[in-house]
Order: sequence, then C-alpha cells, then structure tokens
Amino acid sequence: MPHIEKLLEIDLDTEKIEVKKLDKKMTSKYIGGRGIGVKLLFDRLPPNTDPLSNDNILIFATGPITGTVVPLSGRHIVVSKSPLTGTAFDSSAGGFFGRELRMAGFDVVIIKGASEKPVYIEIDDGDVNIKDASNIWGKNVKESTSILSNNGFKVSCIGKAGENLIPISSIMSEYTHACGRGGLGAVMGSKKLKAFIVRGKKEIQISDSEKMKKYISESMRLLNASPVASKGLAYYGTPSLVNLINTMRIMPTDNFRKVHFENAYKVSGEYIAENYDIKKKTCYNCFIACKREDRKRNIEIPEYETIAMFGPNSMNDDIEKIIQANYICNDYGVDTISAGNAVSCYIELEGKKDIEKPLKEIVEGGPLSQGSFRYSKGKGKEDSSMSVKGLEIPGYDPRGVLGLALSYATSNRGACHLRAYMVGPEILGKPKLIDRLSFSGKSGLIQIFQNISASVHSLIMCQFSSFALSEEEYANLLSAGVGELYTSEEFIKTGERIYNLERLFNLRESMTYSEDTLPGRFFGEDGISKEEFNSVLDEYYTYRGWNKGVPTMERLESLDLKNEGKFLCGKK
Amino acid sequence: MWKEIGKFGKKLVEGGYLSSHFGNISVRVGDGITVTRSGCMLDEITEASVVTVDLHKPSSLDLIASSETIVHREIYKKTSALAVIHAHCPFAVIESLLNDTSIEPYDSEGKFFFHEIPIVTGHIGTKELAQNVAKALEIHKGCIAKGHGTFAVGKILEEAYVHTTMIEHSAKVKYFCDLSKNK
Ligand code: SF4
Repeated sequence: MPHIEKLLEIDLDTEKIEVKKLDKKMTSKYIGGRGIGVKLLFDRLPPNTDPLSNDNILIFATGPITGTVVPLSGRHIVVSKSPLTGTAFDSSAGGFFGRELRMAGFDVVIIKGASEKPVYIEIDDGDVNIKDASNIWGKNVKESTSILSNNGFKVSCIGKAGENLIPISSIMSEYTHACGRGGLGAVMGSKKLKAFIVRGKKEIQISDSEKMKKYISESMRLLNASPVASKGLAYYGTPSLVNLINTMRIMPTDNFRKVHFENAYKVSGEYIAENYDIKKKTCYNCFIACKREDRKRNIEIPEYETIAMFGPNSMNDDIEKIIQANYICNDYGVDTISAGNAVSCYIELEGKKDIEKPLKEIVEGGPLSQGSFRYSKGKGKEDSSMSVKGLEIPGYDPRGVLGLALSYATSNRGACHLRAYMVGPEILGKPKLIDRLSFSGKSGLIQIFQNISASVHSLIMCQFSSFALSEEEYANLLSAGVGELYTSEEFIKTGERIYNLERLFNLRESMTYSEDTLPGRFFGEDGISKEEFNSVLDEYYTYRGWNKGVPTMERLESLDLKNEGKFLCGKK
Repeated sequence: MWKEIGKFGKKLVEGGYLSSHFGNISVRVGDGITVTRSGCMLDEITEASVVTVDLHKPSSLDLIASSETIVHREIYKKTSALAVIHAHCPFAVIESLLNDTSIEPYDSEGKFFFHEIPIVTGHIGTKELAQNVAKALEIHKGCIAKGHGTFAVGKILEEAYVHTTMIEHSAKVKYFCDLSKNK
C-alpha cells in the first residue's frame, strides 16, 4: 500500500456520499494530514467564503503512517477556514480516532454543505451513513460521546460551544483529545454536524515492513535516550514545564504583563504529583503516555498550556479551579488556550480576579466567547488582546524566547507554539541548545523548523517526537511507509511547499504582511526592540524567498506552486 | 557571527581536526554566506578574518574568501544547511584513500548517526567537487572529499562541528580496527 488514497466526500446539503481516490501526484507532494488538507482547502474553497456558511468545507485527514506500528502515530487532523482567524487552519488531536478512521476504510473525509437538522456521520467498516442527531443536539461532549461510543465506535463531536458557533470552539475526540485551536468546532456546528463516529476492522498497511522495523528501532533508541520524552513527559506529563518556564522568567503572568508567577509551585507538575492520585493515559501506540487523570474522580489533569493560561496568566494559584475550568472547556468543547487567554484579558480589563465568571460567559456565548481580540476590540482596548492574527498566544512569553517570538509572528495560523516547535531547542535544549535571548541565526532556523513541522503534521506524528527525532528519521519513516524515497531535504522541502501554500491561501483572503507581528506589549524598553524585530523579519522573508510576506514567483516555481500562485500576478 | 565562527575554529584546531591555516567555516546569513577568509588562521579569528559573500553568485568578494567558497555556496543552494565546516581530519582523509565510495562506521554512534559516510571526488575549489559534495549532503550530514577532508553541515555551527568530530571518530575507530584485524 503506497500513499494515503481513500477519499470520502459527504455533501450534507444533498446527503450525497462519494468514495474517490486521491491523486497520487498530490499525495506524493503533500504527504497527508495538514499538507493534503490545505491543498484540498486551497483548491476547493473560493476566496472570501464565510467560514460559518454552507460553502466552507471541513476536512478530516490522516497521514500515511497514522495508526501503524510507528510509535506516536495516532493523531488525526482537521482542516478548514477558521472562523476565528479567517486563515487556512489545521488542528490536530491525539487518541485513537485517526487510526479507527483508517481501519474503517478512509484516509481523508471532506464534509461539504450543511444539514437542515442535526445529524452525525457514522462509518462502520466502510459503510457510510448520515444519521439523525436530534436526540443529542444540545448535549455536551461527555454525554454525547457516551451515547455514541457504544459498540466500539470512536467519537469526534462538538459540545454546546460548537453548536452555538462560538469561534473558539473545539472538536473533541474520545472525550478529552481536542482539535482545539481555531474554532473548527463552530464550522462543524454551522453544518449541524454533531458528531463523526467511526469503527472498522480493515488492516492498515505500510509499504516496506522490513525497512520500517529498522527505522522504528532507530527512532525508539533516540526517543528512549531523550530525557524530555522518556523521563520528563513520561513522569510528570506536560505540567512538568510549569516550574521550568517560571524559573526562566517566561511564564505568562497577569495577561502577559509579567513573566514570573510567585505561586507557580502550587500549579506545577511536582505539586500535582504530590497531591493527586494520578493515572497515566496515552494515545495510540505511545510509550510516553503524557496524559494524566485524577484516578479518584476520573477527571483529566490539564496540560501545561491550560495551566499557564487559567493559572499564572489569570493570577490564579488554585489548581482545583484550573482542573474544573479544563473540565468545563472540554465538556462544552472550547479551546482551553484561547479561553484561558481570553479570561486573562477579561481580568485585565475588568480588574476582577475570578476565572469562573468569565469562563461561564465564554461557554454560554457572551461577548468573551468571541475570543480576546474581538472582545477587547469591542471595548476599544484591542491592545489588551494577546493574540496574533486573532489567535491567542500560548504559554511562553515571547520576550524571553526570541525564536518563538518570530515563529508566533510569522505563523500562518496565528500565535502557535507548534508551528516551529522552538520549545525544544530554545527552552529544553533538544535536540541542541540554542540561545533563546538572541535573534542571531533565528530567521534561518525558524523557517526550517516551520517547514519540518509542516511535514511532521502531514506524516502525522505527535509533536513531542521532535524532542528526539530529526528530519532524517521522519524522512526514513515516511519512505518506508509509502515505498517512495524521501531524503531529509525532500522532507523539509515538502514542508516548505505546504507552508507557502498556506501563505498563498491567506494572501488570497487579502491578508498582508502587516499581520506578521506581535502585540505592542512585547515591544519597547523592557521587551523586544522593534527595530531588531523588523530586521530579523526581513531576513526571515529573505530566507523564505518572500517579498514583504508574499512569495516570489521564482520561489513558487521551485516549489511547484506556480499555478497556485497565479492570482498574485498583477496584484500590487 | 565571527565570534561564533572563531569559537569553533579554535576547537577544531585544538582538537587536531585541522591545522591552523587549512579548512574553512561558514554560516548562512539571509542571502549571504559569512565565510572564513583565504589564508586566515582558524584558531585566531577576528572580525577581519571573515567575509560575507553572495549566496547565489560569485562576486569580487570571493577573491578574499576561502578557496572552497564555491563548495559552501553549492551546499547552501542545494540543501537547507545553515552552517558548514570543512576540516582536514587526518583519519577521515586516510580512510578516504583506503576506500572507494563510502566508509561504513564500526562504532555504534557512527553507525547510528551516519549509516555510511560517502567519499566524493573532485579537485580542491572546483565545480566538480562542489557539485559532488552538495549532492552527497542532500542525503547525508557529512562526507569526505577523497584525500582532502570532511565537509559537514548543520542547522547551527555546533551541529556541523559535532558531525565533523563524529566522522573523524568513526574513521579513527575503523582505521585501528582494520589495522588490528590485518596484523
Ligand atoms: S506523547 Fe502524549 S500527546 Fe504525544 S502521542 Fe504520546 S500520549 Fe499522545
């Protein structure tokens, strides 16, 4: 079995269901997941489509190694035009849904149109049905999942937030695995699609099992040797970052007005380990098992990002309140980073140190549910929104991690720490320690890491694998998976193609380079020099072969994107 | 940037990976390559010891840049490397003369990180050498120019340095192992 190929198209307007094959040339050029998703989105979505209209499309995609013997390969990705940022947007989740989708017989599913009444899609070992969801519409994630997961179905669904078109709503798989960012839950809600459930017995194949065995053993050796992957994350989960980030003075505190939180210990991984009876949880085929649950209550322990936003950034040192906030967000289907960041923004503007009231406002659809940018703009105070391109900034203050600062600013989907995962080199020193307080050399590095991440998100492997694996191991795993040789360079170049195509999508939506920046709060005397930032941004564009954020025809040609970039001709 | 280049120049000389006047180091800076100058001493680098030349085409500044700039330029054009080190590592040179197209490391790190280390041909400073090295580095982290020395790449200089030292280590282990076997 070569590349992914099984495409399912479902039109909710007409209830037409079509089984197709993905073009081999395209899968070879875009790998899978994020790459294939953005290509399909670019080709099929006319510019200026309202993200919450019938015309928007929602793509569930897997990659060529999803659900195989490759470790950390359980993720799937959802791609659409975001109602929060207006950009091309991909959001991925771990768990088991991606694998089950492939076992049910499909690699990529495109959902078009919108139903008049609430429905859910069921794929039962190749058999596709659109079913009535009237009895679950109006219910939250926990209840909906428990109703639909009978008989071994894996469930992706939205809660009330997605139903109510809240632009920071998520799509939740198997209760707690979130396609969190970008409000794709609202796109699902606009289609009156409550859930997508899958079950199957089909075998997932890889092309060259012998080679794969060898490459997996090499990758496992590196993963095991990585103290971050095999010890830090495996021992404390992502909350292990709390004390570290705080010590480095890059902890978002008081809506990014400070960089250090006095009581960080009370919300740290160590505190959680000492005070809770913890059960480890994992995604498909992952020995790291970074997820945590409170054994007594069967309630999820939040990830680092959630803790940072609802904790220090909202001036809250009560871990119980954060656990509750996380539970509410997951149940209503709301992105915890955006919600927590919006709560911090509310606290700054209203001067009230309480996370419960603003969170209630979010899940019930009040003004804050529109995200921090629209909320603060509505109050004439958009300077208080800590976001880039409308997407809220996650748990690392960019002033103390300058590569990440550039990565936040130039990310096509807005402020995201995963586009170029600089947490590895700049914070944890993996795979190599790089000076986080200097811009020197960062422009070249950021574009390479952005390209690598784009390919990793297309393969698809969990981002945490990058603490140990490089483009070489990824390229090997991909080659053995699809039976076609990808060198490290080709792996990086494929990522570059994907990154440029996302940029083209955004430019077609009339975005400009003026959005490649950070909130004003981060510049100035105590922060980043604007002059230095602008110069490093220019250098970044040079590496990318972009002119003021716009790819040159020459670069597009070298990436085989000439056709896609045609609309740029004649544009000033 | 010259300070960073100087730091690794010193380490290379002190580690015996080259003698002071031979070898060259470069980093990519936007559309330019900051490279050590021809004839400079790698263990005594100052700001005046490096020059920034155009990434895409030779210019008059190439006259004072390392004679291997043509190879560095070709590497940057063909790969995503951001740093290149060329050293005259003695055991790597010996092994390149004893083997034809590649050497297979015996030591576990070398086996693991390199699988094989290609040996390429071409005379010093020629287009042929530049093309052969760049081609090898599209797939590998380092290679050996036959009878001449190593070329290793990285995203940062430290990585290129590590690759250089690992090639030399693998070549040394292989040389002594083969020697003992043939006794
Ligand atoms: S490291 Fe964590 S998020 Fe990644 S696959 Fe494993 S359990 Fe899932």
